Amino acid sequence: MSDRVLILPLWIRLWHWSNAVLMIVLTITGISLHFADPESTWLVPFEISARVHIVAGLALAILYGFFVIANAWSGNWWQYVPKPQGWRDRVGKQMRFYFRGIFHGEPHPYPPTPQANFNSLQQLVYWIVMYLFMPILVVTGLIFTWPDLAPRRVFGMDGLVSVAVIHYLAGLVIVLFMLSHIYLATTGERVGSLVRMMITGWHEHEKR
Amino acid sequence: MRLAGSVAGVAAISVTGVTASAQAPDSTTRGAMPADPATVAMVRQWNGECVACHTEQALLFPPKAGMDLDRLADALMDPFAFNQSQHGGMACKTFHGKGFQDYPHDKQAGDAILGCSECHAKEAFRIQSQLDRSVHARNLSDRFSCTSCHDPHVDRVARDLADARQVVAQDNGKCLECHNSDERFAELGVSLPEARTRPDIDTIHEWLPNTQRHWQAVRCIECHTPASTHSTIAVNHQILDAEQAERNCTVCHSRDSSLNLRLYRWQTEREASELGFLNSAILGDSYVIGATRNVYLDQLAYWLVGLLLAALALHGGLRIIGALVRKRKGS
Repeated sequence: MSDRVLILPLWIRLWHWSNAVLMIVLTITGISLHFADPESTWLVPFEISARVHIVAGLALAILYGFFVIANAWSGNWWQYVPKPQGWRDRVGKQMRFYFRGIFHGEPHPYPPTPQANFNSLQQLVYWIVMYLFMPILVVTGLIFTWPDLAPRRVFGMDGLVSVAVIHYLAGLVIVLFMLSHIYLATTGERVGSLVRMMITGWHEHEKR
Repeated sequence: MRLAGSVAGVAAISVTGVTASAQAPDSTTRGAMPADPATVAMVRQWNGECVACHTEQALLFPPKAGMDLDRLADALMDPFAFNQSQHGGMACKTFHGKGFQDYPHDKQAGDAILGCSECHAKEAFRIQSQLDRSVHARNLSDRFSCTSCHDPHVDRVARDLADARQVVAQDNGKCLECHNSDERFAELGVSLPEARTRPDIDTIHEWLPNTQRHWQAVRCIECHTPASTHSTIAVNHQILDAEQAERNCTVCHSRDSSLNLRLYRWQTEREASELGFLNSAILGDSYVIGATRNVYLDQLAYWLVGLLLAALALHGGLRIIGALVRKRKGS
């Protein structure tokens, strides 16, 4: 027996999966560009990576703009904002679940509801990733695409060096997030529950 | 095509009046401004006599009566640029030959002008075989010589130009003088069996991302020459055509960037790995994706991604074990 509740509207699901595909493409081509090596057999060829990374990056920038506007328009942005009152307790409870309760098959302390899609830990991490690191990544990526926008010189080096370093570090944070995110997607009531919810929009509460 | 005797500029004898062949000079330092101020003053005074006529100023206000201004117009130079150039320490009167010492000049004076190889014999010997294989030699034969690219009154050697961007501007200027001018392209190409229209430089390089950025940051010859085969010759003179030119981005965009052996040849030794950046000599001018990455930040990424994957694998393993234990207990 299970209760079904619609958590995720279509536009969020479409945005999420488009974002996911672009992120994976950008990670693979970004790694291929950064660690470019003429002898490598596993990296995507530089010329292809350069073109694909620019096209996918521009698509991601547009998609991010859509995300910010649609989130504001629909009121969904509120889901991302960490709620101050008692957040430490809620984050602590969530952490205890990931570090102990999950191994004993305990239920999720904060299962998603239409009013609160995210638990407090998700809110905190998603908020930092989507509203801090993503804008940094997108803006530095756009400067990389049009390098004349970069400052002429920073710390005695070409201005693009600092842009490149910030882009790299922001990209690294996003990759770390993405790996954790993919793993944590398997921590639903069943291994595939959360992925299924991200596809159908329905969350199924198992009756125990 | 022979290099000897091809130059119509400065060559041959140092300011001390000793012939080049007698002194067996080091042609990479020869011709530079002497350190002794008295010698500099003497050279300037000698050259001043030539400069009095061979500048645009003289063309407007001829210093002597009855000058052939049409011929003079073909023999002008910029004294400021010359003094800055690699040959700026040389006395022109001596190198252009005795026939130019008095005015009017000897009618046969031009025959005595010495070629580049009088001083640059060793280089000329090595360059000759490279040049013979170049697209210019194949297409233009004797219409192409050292001075088609090198201006002995203006050029500075890369080692003396502190900024790689200046090297790029100087060297690309040589190529663009013909390859960005329909008139000059047609003038040189007149001997070709089939007339060729000059292709637009930007159009044929459209495949190169950020084309203009590349023009500012690297020289045409980074891709249009093979690597140099002689340690004393910075640039291989076998200019490659579009089909033969390098198209593999990672030749420059990688850890072992060829830019170190080419454009940044003079800087890489003193700036090997500043602040953990690979090929850090380039950083003052450009960020070259793949070549100027920072090894410390890369190690940080390896560790963070590695530790995270290990932690996730451990977590996943414990979940599986927990589920198996619960299943066994349940059954």
